[in-house]
Amino acid sequence: MSAQHLSVLLVEDNALNRDMLSRRLDRAGFAVVLAEDGAQALEKMRDAKPDVVLLDMNLPIKDGWTVASEAKADAAIAAIPIIALTAHAMEADRQKALSAGCDDYATKPIDFPGLVAKIQGILPS
Amino acid sequence: MSETDDTSREWAARIIDAASPLRDALGRRTVTTSEDERRDIDALLEAVERLSDLADRQGHEARHDRLNVIGAVRGYGEILAEDSPTLHPSLASTLPALLLAVESPIVLAKPSAEKKKPRRQIAQDPGVILAVDDLPENRDLVSRLLSKVGHTVITAESGEEALELLETMGVDVVLLDLMMPGITGSEVLQRLKEDDRLRATPVIMISGRQDMDQIVACIEAGADDYLLKPFNPVLLQARISAGIERKRWHDREDQYREQLERRERFIRATFGRYLSDEIVEEILESPEGLDLGGDLREVTIMMSDIRGFTTHVEHLPPQQVVQLLNRYLGRMTDIILEYGGTIDEFLGDAVLAVFGAPKKQSDDTERALRCALTMQAAMGDINLANLDDGLPELDMAIALNTGSVVAGNIGSERRSKYGFVGHAMNVTSRIEDAAGPGEVLISGSTRDKLPDALVVGDRRELSAKGMEEALVVYPLLEVLL
Repeated sequence: MSAQHLSVLLVEDNALNRDMLSRRLDRAGFAVVLAEDGAQALEKMRDAKPDVVLLDMNLPIKDGWTVASEAKADAAIAAIPIIALTAHAMEADRQKALSAGCDDYATKPIDFPGLVAKIQGILPS
Repeated sequence: MSETDDTSREWAARIIDAASPLRDALGRRTVTTSEDERRDIDALLEAVERLSDLADRQGHEARHDRLNVIGAVRGYGEILAEDSPTLHPSLASTLPALLLAVESPIVLAKPSAEKKKPRRQIAQDPGVILAVDDLPENRDLVSRLLSKVGHTVITAESGEEALELLETMGVDVVLLDLMMPGITGSEVLQRLKEDDRLRATPVIMISGRQDMDQIVACIEAGADDYLLKPFNPVLLQARISAGIERKRWHDREDQYREQLERRERFIRATFGRYLSDEIVEEILESPEGLDLGGDLREVTIMMSDIRGFTTHVEHLPPQQVVQLLNRYLGRMTDIILEYGGTIDEFLGDAVLAVFGAPKKQSDDTERALRCALTMQAAMGDINLANLDDGLPELDMAIALNTGSVVAGNIGSERRSKYGFVGHAMNVTSRIEDAAGPGEVLISGSTRDKLPDALVVGDRRELSAKGMEEALVVYPLLEVLL
């Protein structure tokens, strides 16, 4: 499970959750880039070109669904895989995330080993 | 929304409860092993604090916030647990209860001292579990608990979906929620038990305590077990393991039965046309007593043919040739089977039969002798029928010889049959050549089997290629026994 030299953009408006996840990702060996809202998310995706994006769906300024569909429409960053972080366990919400262009989703509260497995699984080896 | 909203509120309340000893312990502590640990502890305490603030709020937003904060509690809790070697005793004793509470929205199990690392336990016999529940939280919970120990979990959100999945997937155990909209759990159970292929799949019903009457009805209808909500994860896993074990037993039984049936089909296909039903049944009853791989055994060999058959039929239309042969061979087959002989082959008008294989009996030679005389006697009837139909009269010659042959399935993978090889076969063929019309000619070795019971004609000596000594034969006249 070598996470070294993999960079993760974590987009999360809830500070408590953002700190916790970034700390755990950091401990797991990922390089973590942070964004607090949808606009920042797109900006950081273009600047930092992370290997993967963890995207909360309920974000200020631009919500996660908008971020995902705009990212997938921008050729420069369309290839970056996005994992939706959603508090919605409903099938319909998952479908909504996937149809917005997210490549996978994880349900809150996050099962961290499961999330790491999803990150590993989504990246081209 | 209200249902899931309630779930997250109850969950939060449970977490706060579970965190209170931890808060007491940590609130008093000033000494920490590292700055990181101090930071993680503070963050955990802050998250629990925030959860308390959110505990009574209602609505969609509140639920979202609560799940975020529960995530933070769980995250920091797990970080601290990962560093457990350096944990202070007060933390080590209070953290597990909190971790268990954040683990799932429903489980209400008490942490037990002896199982420190339940997460790392792997089921001894992982299986495929179908979890049927209309509530996504319950499906997620069961999936997580069971996949963690190595099972493969398939979920269905309705009875309809469950029945569809059962049709196509190989499921070892079904976890079935009793109360579901649409097709209820008890209806799913009923349909499953009506289906021959699915009946053996163990079913564990899940329900609330208030539905005990229905659970009893389900057990009567064939459910294997039940669990009451909220259920204990350890109990769930134990019941699943028991269910898988039941399923494995059943599968093994099925496999064994299928193997027996395959063997029976094979034996019937191999021998059905050549052996009497009685012998086929006997072989089937003791299949281990039958070696088809090849063994050397003493048998009495019978060869018969129609003298001058080719000349007789030269001028007959083909349909009449077939009619003539079938009448004759049909009658001979009946007689040979009646005497317990094994018909190895028809070659045109010739019949090769063996007494003493695949099943050895004490009176093999005697039956062969009686059989030969009965066959000759039957020729009278056959010729009468032939006369009526304007068909030629036939004369049959029979040779009998007793000796050792190799018996077994002989041939290639594509085509093989139970057959015999050995010198005794060639000897029989030589005797057959020398037998006259209407005669049963037997070898000295066959006569020696029942020296006092046979009435024979004059001894003859035959010479044959490759045989150093002359072959002694007798025409059989009568069997006295």
